[in-house]
Amino acid sequence: MKTSKLLRRCALALALCGTAGASLHAKTPDDQLVMGFSMNNLLTLDPASATGNDVVEIAANLYDYLIELDPQNTSKMLPGLAENWKIAPDGRSITLNVRKGVKFQSGQALTAEDAAWSLQRVLKLNLALASPWKAYGFTAGNVDKAIRATDAHTLVIELPEATDPKMVLYTLATSVSAVVLDRKKVMENEKNGDMGAAWLTTHAAGSGPFALADWRAKDVLLMNRFEGYWRGPAKLKRVIMRHMTESQSLRLMVDRGDLDLASGMSAPDVEAMKKSPDVLVQPVRRGTLYYVALSMKNPQFADKRVRLAIRSLIDYEGINASVMPNYGVLHQRPVQMGLPATLPSPGYKFDLPAAKKLLAEAGFPNGFKTTIRVLADPPFINIATSLQATLAKAGIEASVISGTGNQIYGAMRERNFDILVGRGGGGAEPHPHSSLRALVYNPDNSDAAKLTNFQGWRTSFFSPELNQLIEKAEVERDEQKQTAAYQEAQRLYDSQVGAIQPISQMVDTVVMRKDVRNYQGHPAATTRLREVFKQR
Amino acid sequence: MENILSDPSPSLSLPLPAPQGSLRWRRLAPLGRRLLSVLLTLLGLLLLTFVIGRVMPLDPVLAIVGPDADKSTYEQVFRQLGLDRPLPVQFGYYLRDLLHGDLGHALLTGNKVTEDIARVFPATMEIATLAILFGACVGIPLGVYAATRRGTLADHLVRVVSLFGYSTPVFWFGMMGLLVFYAWLGWAGGAGRVDLAFDGLVPPASGLLLLDSAMAGEWEVFRSALKHVTLPACILGLHSMAYISRMTRSFMLAQLSQEYILTARVKGLSERGVVWHHAFRNILVQLLTIVALAYGSLLEGAVLIETVFAWPGFGQYLTSSLLLGDMNAVMGCVLVVGVIFITLNLLSDALYQVFDPRTRR
Repeated sequence: MKTSKLLRRCALALALCGTAGASLHAKTPDDQLVMGFSMNNLLTLDPASATGNDVVEIAANLYDYLIELDPQNTSKMLPGLAENWKIAPDGRSITLNVRKGVKFQSGQALTAEDAAWSLQRVLKLNLALASPWKAYGFTAGNVDKAIRATDAHTLVIELPEATDPKMVLYTLATSVSAVVLDRKKVMENEKNGDMGAAWLTTHAAGSGPFALADWRAKDVLLMNRFEGYWRGPAKLKRVIMRHMTESQSLRLMVDRGDLDLASGMSAPDVEAMKKSPDVLVQPVRRGTLYYVALSMKNPQFADKRVRLAIRSLIDYEGINASVMPNYGVLHQRPVQMGLPATLPSPGYKFDLPAAKKLLAEAGFPNGFKTTIRVLADPPFINIATSLQATLAKAGIEASVISGTGNQIYGAMRERNFDILVGRGGGGAEPHPHSSLRALVYNPDNSDAAKLTNFQGWRTSFFSPELNQLIEKAEVERDEQKQTAAYQEAQRLYDSQVGAIQPISQMVDTVVMRKDVRNYQGHPAATTRLREVFKQR
Repeated sequence: MENILSDPSPSLSLPLPAPQGSLRWRRLAPLGRRLLSVLLTLLGLLLLTFVIGRVMPLDPVLAIVGPDADKSTYEQVFRQLGLDRPLPVQFGYYLRDLLHGDLGHALLTGNKVTEDIARVFPATMEIATLAILFGACVGIPLGVYAATRRGTLADHLVRVVSLFGYSTPVFWFGMMGLLVFYAWLGWAGGAGRVDLAFDGLVPPASGLLLLDSAMAGEWEVFRSALKHVTLPACILGLHSMAYISRMTRSFMLAQLSQEYILTARVKGLSERGVVWHHAFRNILVQLLTIVALAYGSLLEGAVLIETVFAWPGFGQYLTSSLLLGDMNAVMGCVLVVGVIFITLNLLSDALYQVFDPRTRR
């Protein structure tokens, strides 16, 4: 009797909770976009040091760039803060006209001096994002002269070394380091000569369509509309970015309408979302490549026949069909897809007899033991597992060592690995040089050089011929000749059997509610939200 | 007649009152020893964590500069972080700053570690406190119930539920809980501490959102926060409940087989009186230890539940910092965990004296 009374009371309480719960459910507001994704790599908002894709989209909405790239055709440059620009006939300088009437979120007028100072700051601080600029020959010593404002609305960039000026324009359009900072606001918060670095870790000082309202690391980032934006106020009043790493939680919340948009979901959850009538799935192709890298410090992999054998032991089609949906698309060239210079796919396939023959010729008829280093997350671990299985068929016993990015890429930077499954290769700039420089180029193979920013150095792949070809193509002013040079570089890389074999080009999949309009994911991650709204 | 009042034998002389100083010292000595022991424990914890942090293959510089940074940037940041100094010097600097209340800056957030912990710890404390209340309030009666019905269907049911609660991975419970109570029934809030519409509405006085919203009179926020915290707290509490009920049952069975229980029954006391006023009182001290330890584990942060529910808590913060090699944050967290367990031990010791008169001096 007592038990049944207790049970009845519990049932009543649960029913009341249910009713109360239903009435308290808050859907996302009509004028606010709620996004869910992992912000694990968001460690700072300082444009001079913020790495990773997480921060690029945030920066693209808090700040303005001088130039923007068309998300539908990334080779097409569009005016940003720069109304127009001119490349000098000798290709050694670029002049940009900074538009008038733009104000920062602080109310301060934006001028070319701010743009120059923002870029100078990157070189002087010499933090993570100085690398692309140093590659063009800029240094802390020469940047004041090389990048300067000749008046309030004219910015001049003089290239210290010969390069393709289009590359520099692409970097201005895609690198977080190229955003324009409110110099006055930043310097008001400078401490101990840090040029505002400590303050900018958790604050922003831009002119973008949204202003930073709050950032609680590993929790939430809030941006409010900037009413004085020079293009006109954004359609959304607020953007809320919520840190969520669990794919199924993201899925449930998008399904329920508590999130408008999510990215970084696992492939099975994305597939499940495709069946939902209220949800759209948008794949966004990036320029980054998934690859299998071999360390040529290892005498086995220094042998071209062994590298060729490994190339034949990767199940490209199997991996791309079963592991890579929603993560990447089949691609086997070291230059990203879609560029005029990119050669058609070479059509590498899994070919066990050919691999065994090559291994026997190289003196490994029974295979050998080795290791595969890989990130512990999908799809990397799945690629490594597949590779392990196919290598085993040829007698190569590979044990998998998984870890965090820090551990895996740290080992690669130390040249302390055998085989590595990774992702990288530049690609933010839609230019062949971006990928080749990151993946292939290696000007000095000595250990002492420590060219850790070049994956060619990390793999100890050294080809003076290829280096020269890449350097020559970089400064070639005739477009057709340049394209031909890059194509020759790809053929040469193939014939030399480079240490990095791309297997897939990265795809980022965004899942959003159908009422979200005008959201266009950008291949360079500079997705702009100023035109996004909700149709309700 | 012998004058026993004069010149008494030394053995009969009254003891002279002890000097004030030595009496005070005798009273303070145990406290002093305890304090020294606590300080040495914390120092040992910090030293061990520091050494492990420097030895393990995680590079905090790489986390900051990214995998594509060149040598000069890497070396610059390496020096900026003070990693070029000898290890004893690094530890010395850390201790010096610690004595000034400075736990350093976190790589993860750029904030001071003290600020970060002040933000994330209350979030975990909220969920852990509700979880232990649930675990204890349900687990203890269930354990007593099972012990008093040993061998019956009820006893077996309680044991199966406990086993299930203890054995099933907590993240599975979390996912199932979200699916059933959030997605299907709409009873529970989704991820996060509160609905986004209410985010930032209540000033963070204590950091405990339920308390802060109640004190501010923001009852909509309170209801939303309660809705969000209930499910993860219950899931965590389920795990604690399973453990507490099993231990309670075990302790009660040991007590109920004692002779004094038979005596109490023979005396004609009601069964309720025998169980709760006699047997249960004798296991209170043991239960206190169990509950205190369980609470301490919860306060360390249940990283899996925090991940599933996107709860910005201590567990996530500590785990992320560890994976980044952010030793300032890790050591700050280790210090906090050490202080938690020491505090809980002290509290338990104090409560022992309340529940068990035999431990009072």
